[in-house]
Amino acid sequence: MSRRSLWVTLLITLTIAWGSLAGVLAAGWEPKLGLDLQGGFSLVLTAPEGADSEVLDKAVEIMRQRIENMGSVQEPEISVQGDRSIQVQLPGVQERERALQAVGTTGELSFRPVLDLQTGLSPAFLDGTLPVPEELLVEETTTTTIAEDGEAVDTTTTTTTTTTTTTTVPPVIPENIDPDTGLTIVDDPQATSYLRDENGFYYYKVGPAFLTGGDIAGARAGYGGVSIGQSGGGWNVDPDFTSEGGKRFEEASILLSTYAVGDPRRAMAIVVDGTVISAPTIAADVPSGEGLKADNVVITMGSTENAEAEAQDLATILRYGALPTTFERERVESVSASLGSDSLRAGLYAGLGGLALVALALMVYYRALGLVAIVGLSVFGSLLIVSIIMMGRTQGTTLTLAGVTGIIVSIGITADSYIVFFERIKEEHRRGRNLRPAVDTGFKRAFHTILTADTVTFSGSILLWLLAIGPVKGFAITLGIATVIDVLVAYFFTRPAVMLLVRSRFGEGGVFSIRGAMGRHAEELAEATA
Amino acid sequence: MSLMRDLYRGETEFDFIGRRRTFFVISGVIIAISLLSLLVRGLDGSVDFTGGTIVEAENRAGVDVAGVRTALGAVGEEGARVQLRVDTLSGTESIIVQTAALDAAHQDRLIEAVAEVAGVSPDETNVDAVGPSFGAEITRRMIRALVIFLVVVAAFISWRFEWKMAAAALAALFHDLALTAGIYSLVGFEVTPATVIGVLTILGYSLYDTVVVFDKITENVHELGSRHTFTEIGNLSMNQVLMRSINTSATSLLPIGSLLFVGSYLLGAATLREFALALFIGVAAGTYSSIFVATPLLAEWKEREPGWQRMQRRTARRGGEIAAAAAAPEVAVEIRDSGAVARPPKQRRKRR
Repeated sequence: MSRRSLWVTLLITLTIAWGSLAGVLAAGWEPKLGLDLQGGFSLVLTAPEGADSEVLDKAVEIMRQRIENMGSVQEPEISVQGDRSIQVQLPGVQERERALQAVGTTGELSFRPVLDLQTGLSPAFLDGTLPVPEELLVEETTTTTIAEDGEAVDTTTTTTTTTTTTTTVPPVIPENIDPDTGLTIVDDPQATSYLRDENGFYYYKVGPAFLTGGDIAGARAGYGGVSIGQSGGGWNVDPDFTSEGGKRFEEASILLSTYAVGDPRRAMAIVVDGTVISAPTIAADVPSGEGLKADNVVITMGSTENAEAEAQDLATILRYGALPTTFERERVESVSASLGSDSLRAGLYAGLGGLALVALALMVYYRALGLVAIVGLSVFGSLLIVSIIMMGRTQGTTLTLAGVTGIIVSIGITADSYIVFFERIKEEHRRGRNLRPAVDTGFKRAFHTILTADTVTFSGSILLWLLAIGPVKGFAITLGIATVIDVLVAYFFTRPAVMLLVRSRFGEGGVFSIRGAMGRHAEELAEATA
Repeated sequence: MSLMRDLYRGETEFDFIGRRRTFFVISGVIIAISLLSLLVRGLDGSVDFTGGTIVEAENRAGVDVAGVRTALGAVGEEGARVQLRVDTLSGTESIIVQTAALDAAHQDRLIEAVAEVAGVSPDETNVDAVGPSFGAEITRRMIRALVIFLVVVAAFISWRFEWKMAAAALAALFHDLALTAGIYSLVGFEVTPATVIGVLTILGYSLYDTVVVFDKITENVHELGSRHTFTEIGNLSMNQVLMRSINTSATSLLPIGSLLFVGSYLLGAATLREFALALFIGVAAGTYSSIFVATPLLAEWKEREPGWQRMQRRTARRGGEIAAAAAAPEVAVEIRDSGAVARPPKQRRKRR
């Protein structure tokens, strides 16, 4: 190869490597960090044995929609893993409660009549279902009771509970009620249940459902909707019903509007998975016995700080209901942002430190050739960074801590390529070749070895990528990219660079030269055979 | 110094194969101890494999282990493993609590309890919770990956060289695996997915080292096979590639050492540390096994083939002279060149 074409190859390679790095940095592009490096929330959910793949796909769709509705999540990753698992990755998400809610809500959605409402204590202790707890025995308690058949028996009795009342209470505790909390263990939407809200503040007794998830066609969250009885606008949720659902809702609202304003029974509990998500009350200005028209229903959420998020969450739940199957939380991982940035810093330090040490070792050992290796490592590094950033932008590949370790290991692999090449040159030279032909033949043979080695590593990383799950995948990806870059660098950078170097002053004279690095004995041998 | 020079020029004359019995005994004892320890003590798998919950929070409240334990008692987890760890760089202290696998509700309560006693919000905690069946699934997958990896490797070497080399290379791999697992079992290091990545990487390294030696042997058998015994050729080949092996191991260990150092001093780098530790042990084992296990084993085997046995008898009649000549590369060059031109030797054949 002529000197000219070697220079052209070398310059093109350097321009591509450094130019693309400069371009990417100038554009402000950054690698897409995995959640172990930027903090975030990840979980794996598993459906029961024998769950159908369609059900899983549906669940993934619902979860994705819900997460998009959470707003602040950048690029969530939700995927089906194996036969019946779903992996959800929410990089950057710190509010674990909201995240869990978005993906974890299971069971059926239902609109239920509120039969009783208490704060901090289950109505089950007060309506005779469960014995009254001792600490309440001496206190005067006001209870609102209602007949079990749902018929509105509006009786307000003031009972001074005494030890005698506890003995009169039926001692048979219903199986489905937790005797400590007074809450229903497994909620059946078609039965009366004792439930509480998400914060555990309000305790409800709810009757059989007026309508269920299937009766709702959709829901939107909006701002400033008409809400009579409230001054000013606020966040609200506008549900759409199916025609059947609309009728049921209208009937329910007629029944509820008969209760006086302020009576807890004027509210309708929205229940998902045994938890009361919301319990909107029929507005005060709705006349008794008239109810609401299904088309005009709006649930107002007020205009407090959280109202927007609450409205969005409620609309999402109404729209997509519960997930089509129950999931077990198999794996939960949350990484705080500070741990993420610590890990990233550690990875950078380790990588740069490793790079510097390898460069130094090659420099000391191979002298002028080491110089080639150092520039080569920078070309390798530039291309690797650009590739990882571009993979992140086009394929959505994230860089995880395991990926960073893959990069650090690949420094060793690319260093080995230089060693193989340089040792080959030494060997050829020792066998009596002049420096220039030693480099030429040395490269041919060394490149073959490098190619074999990188093929093995590359195949290994593909195999790992196919077989493994979780962190190993990230490792396999960066390792795979690195081996491809290593081959390219060896051919398009190291080869022309060493060939040019050997033709220059650095090739022949001085301790620093390539010949110097070959050892004296080799030199003598070369002269003897020349 | 002269050893260094010989190494540098690939002119050492170590008789690796001649002492093979000694190395086999050493390796045998090491493997026996490792297997025994694996059988008796087993491996300490992390929650990723066994299932369990780890909650980690910055100890802003400055509570001690007993304080954490009391708080855990309230959620029925007083038996949890509680640990305080200090980041040497930033000086911050973390509380790490580990329990068995918990259901969702228990998990949430535990996280809240730890966050509260540490004086942080639940959103600032680091949580790693794995259900037992998921842990079993990971273990199953890892083992499957390993088995497929070994089968592919065996097939590749059999195709590229011969099946006896594949068997010897796999024996060396098994040696490395047993040794690494044995050290983890004996010392009681925790096995994490990062460790497994480390081990897989080691297998790659070790295998690559072995392939380089075998490659050289194949090349030398073609050139010198008509005059020398397999043992001599094996020794020569290993001495020729020794420098590369040492250099590669050294340059591999540099970034790994950097990982180990950074991983030990930065709190967030537990994964890096675990990974580096496995690599550090494994690279040492891998370098040892490709020199002292794979090739001696292959030589032991090949020398039993009728062809190589005839060669042995022939060289035995000629005495030790040739053996010495074969071990020195420059003499080997002379032998090769004696019948050819005096100029630099031509490439005999396409080597690979």
